[in-house]
Amino acid sequence: MDLDKLRKTAAEVVAREDVRYLLGWKKGTFGYRIAPGFVEDAESAAELIFSPLCTANLATYLTLTEKPPLPRGQEPDDRKVAVMVKGCDSRAVTQLLIEKGIERESVVIIGCPCPGVVDHELLAEKYPETEETAELKWSDKGFLLLQNGEETEIARDELLAEKCRLCRYPNPVVSDIMVGEPVETWEPDDDQGVAEVEGKNAEVRWEYWQEQFSNCLRCYSCRNVCPLCYCEDCILDRLNPTWIYRSVNFSENTAFNLARAFHLAGRCIECGECERVCPANIPLGKLNRKLAREVREKYGFEPGVDPEAEPFQASYKPDDPEEFIL
Amino acid sequence: MSAMLLSKEKWSDFVGMLAGKNLWAPRESDEGLRFVPVAEGEVPTLDYNNTRVPPKEAVFPQTETLFKFKVGGKDLEEPRPDQDAVLLGVRPCDARAMHIIDELFSWDEDDPYYLKRREKTVLVGLACNEPGLNCFCTSVGGGPVSTEGLDLLMVDLGEKYLLEEVTEKGSALIDEVKELLEEADDNSSKQKDKLADEAAGKIKRSIETEGIPAGLPGLWEDELWQRVSASCIGCGTCTFLCPTCHCFDIQDETEGFEARRCRMWDSCMFREYTLHTSGHNPRPTRSERTRNRINHKYSYYVDKFEVIACVGCGRCINLCPVNIDILDILGQVKEEI
Repeated sequence: MDLDKLRKTAAEVVAREDVRYLLGWKKGTFGYRIAPGFVEDAESAAELIFSPLCTANLATYLTLTEKPPLPRGQEPDDRKVAVMVKGCDSRAVTQLLIEKGIERESVVIIGCPCPGVVDHELLAEKYPETEETAELKWSDKGFLLLQNGEETEIARDELLAEKCRLCRYPNPVVSDIMVGEPVETWEPDDDQGVAEVEGKNAEVRWEYWQEQFSNCLRCYSCRNVCPLCYCEDCILDRLNPTWIYRSVNFSENTAFNLARAFHLAGRCIECGECERVCPANIPLGKLNRKLAREVREKYGFEPGVDPEAEPFQASYKPDDPEEFIL
Repeated sequence: MSAMLLSKEKWSDFVGMLAGKNLWAPRESDEGLRFVPVAEGEVPTLDYNNTRVPPKEAVFPQTETLFKFKVGGKDLEEPRPDQDAVLLGVRPCDARAMHIIDELFSWDEDDPYYLKRREKTVLVGLACNEPGLNCFCTSVGGGPVSTEGLDLLMVDLGEKYLLEEVTEKGSALIDEVKELLEEADDNSSKQKDKLADEAAGKIKRSIETEGIPAGLPGLWEDELWQRVSASCIGCGTCTFLCPTCHCFDIQDETEGFEARRCRMWDSCMFREYTLHTSGHNPRPTRSERTRNRINHKYSYYVDKFEVIACVGCGRCINLCPVNIDILDILGQVKEEI
């Protein structure tokens, strides 16, 4: 990835009169951390990076932006928001377009073809973090780690994030501007995580999820980080009626996690952010990917690929064969 | 107060002798490291950095039933927390955090639930020989061998643990296991001081807090809050995993005719936290909420209790999904003051 080109493109985009700010990745405050950057000028654009550390899906900020009531006489800022997207992130933008969560004219999509990002936990486990911010680059063999003045070559398989092993769309599916050449796609791995759970009988599966959901702290980081969890009135926040009690116990936690999983069926684009941010390490990816596969196999629908598609959960076909419905 | 030595060879005997006491210790599982009651026959290891969820949950559980009742009934059934507990391997920062929030829970009205548990719980600390990447306890009044809040401090001297009594509860615990212990000599205390100095030297991150509590009120309308909260997703990770965060909500919940009034951790980072019945929200966006989080720890609490309500454990920095870093925020605060 040519960072100069990326920064130059970003600077040009934010200089446009019709663009409010640009969402990109910046170095974080320590170690391997990456911070989402809100870029408004060329100076700030010069800090942008794109590297195998850039796991965050910035599309989430397209709907997360708050719109508090404006002082009398003040007009809302309706300028476009530019967003840098990897392949998976671009699917989130596309899915938002499908659902009319955002309007096409409201965004400038800057596509960043992605050879795959790393699993941060694995990286920190194998190559301990130091307080200095480290750099990680894509190399022929996989990754090149630059930490405290030392270079370490790391094989791709050693650190590649699970979501990337399963990825079928490393190149952005929608973009206004592409930075860099498309990457060669790869044969996705079999989804061993899902297969492993499927291979167990119902009782064992129930025990497995019981243990996982019992660990949930209900911090809602999974919901909040999710680019497709953007309901203004979330079922979880309702108090009258209280669909899900605030008590943190297995029963309520399960209601929460299952409600979220079902609401994401046919909508989750498998960016893996929920699982990455979960402080209780709940394998949410397995749950979401299982539902995604059901929808793909049974309904032939894949979310976030075709912006012209009808939304899966809100479409009806009179000639639906309904072969598997009893 | 006296100091004793425990040979690591006798560690499992030590744990065994405390087994009947509702013993809690960190355990590694799928979710990461967390304080849990020690299972029968389990010998917990103290070879760890720190738990994700702080041990405050042992005295201030995430969800606590205050009383139960039947819908339409008048009788209340009140579960009383009256079980003794021993927490093994509490880091000095986390014990200090409990010491700090003791002030709040015994302020205008005593909180019987918290205080009862605190009274019944013995905190056995473990000094930090290897601080974590984002530890900054020494900047906020703590340190690798701080004993505030602890009843007993253990220091890993390599082949032995040094056990230092801090309170009478700690002495009583030592008396119960005396047969396993030997008297500490001057050498152990020197070794401890050396390790403590080394550990403090390994702490890489810091903040000079002077001026922050006095300066924060003047930054109320400052643009910095927008800047530092721009990427905040509004989740509860920073507050739920904070050892000093102590806010809770109270709810009545029913299942059929069975009802309970319970309280559960709440987070000032949630929109719902300050939402009025009218629909008005005095903290309408994440920037006001972030401002509150910082002000509560570094200004309001200092005004009221003369102590910063942050112990520098680094959890909020380590686990924030979007790298919002409290030291970075405080650095920007200092620049603006």
